[in-house]
Amino acid sequence: MILTGIEIEKQLNNGNIVIDPFIHEQLNPNSYNYRIGDEIIEFYYLDGKKMKRRVKIPSGGFQLEPQTIYLASTYEILGSKKYAMSLIGRSSLGRLSLFLQISANLGHTGSCHKWTLELVSMKPFIIYSKMKVGQISFWTNEGEILLYHGGYSLFNLPTISKLEEENDIDR
Amino acid sequence: MILTGEEIKKRYREGKIVINPFIEMNITTNSYDLILGDKYLVYTTKILDPAKNNPYEIRKIPEDGLVLKKGDFALSYSKEIVGSNYYVPIIHAKSSIARLGLFIHVTADLIDIGSIGNITFQLFATMPVRIYSGMLIAQVSFWVPEGKITLYDGKYKGSSGVRPSEAYQDFRRGCK
Repeated sequence: MILTGIEIEKQLNNGNIVIDPFIHEQLNPNSYNYRIGDEIIEFYYLDGKKMKRRVKIPSGGFQLEPQTIYLASTYEILGSKKYAMSLIGRSSLGRLSLFLQISANLGHTGSCHKWTLELVSMKPFIIYSKMKVGQISFWTNEGEILLYHGGYSLFNLPTISKLEEENDIDR
Repeated sequence: MILTGEEIKKRYREGKIVINPFIEMNITTNSYDLILGDKYLVYTTKILDPAKNNPYEIRKIPEDGLVLKKGDFALSYSKEIVGSNYYVPIIHAKSSIARLGLFIHVTADLIDIGSIGNITFQLFATMPVRIYSGMLIAQVSFWVPEGKITLYDGKYKGSSGVRPSEAYQDFRRGCK
């Protein structure tokens, strides 16, 4: 079952959900609007080699090139040891062609951190620091819970794919 | 929990789910198939800025279909008015449409409880594809919520037809 907005706030107060900082106005009927942080990772090629750089989003916004992947992170720390999570984009930005998360929307029970966001815009798009970019919903589990400790759960900054690290593409 | 097709039909008859027009044949095992409306929207500006009201045009889908070129992005909408004050709708493409490389939404698949209107589709073609008004393009599933319900009262409430982004309203309130 998916939690309603009132239930999200109740479980936040019970300690079963972490949203930090939490702003009541960002609560929806069945999700919470999260913000983007103030940093973006962009990828580029130098002598055929894939490189990356971290960029602070300027106050006038940062223009995303179309159909190009950028990484960022949520401004909030988001997580739960009780519920599974789904992290998606907002329809207001989807209507402007911005993909937020590319088919990997499922957040495992037990993860609690600033989430890495995968941004791809179909058209040139201006992103602003700390704007509300997406929604997180919380889902009840059925069955015994083995908490997620691995992978990316420890990271609070935008974190590149471990596959790239393993393949040594990006050093 | 997700409702079965039979349960969707039952809840529709009780008035707990709105689907209008409702065609019994469009019920599937766990969802209801949605029909593409007859208009689409394209932005007429090169750079999309969520802080601004981006200019756009609404056009009619021609009788013989609309060809979306590879990389084209357009908005359109479901012919049906869809929503519920009791269940959470989630929008999906029909897999036959996805297999043609056509996205029907761009990651925003979750509808708020209490939001009842035409569903705006965010169409993105990864391959050239022809779409027709009246075709089955998407599906909606309904999910049981846990907790006390508050109904949606946001900026897209009661959407009629295709609705462009109103992200700029957030900026006007001084709250990005």
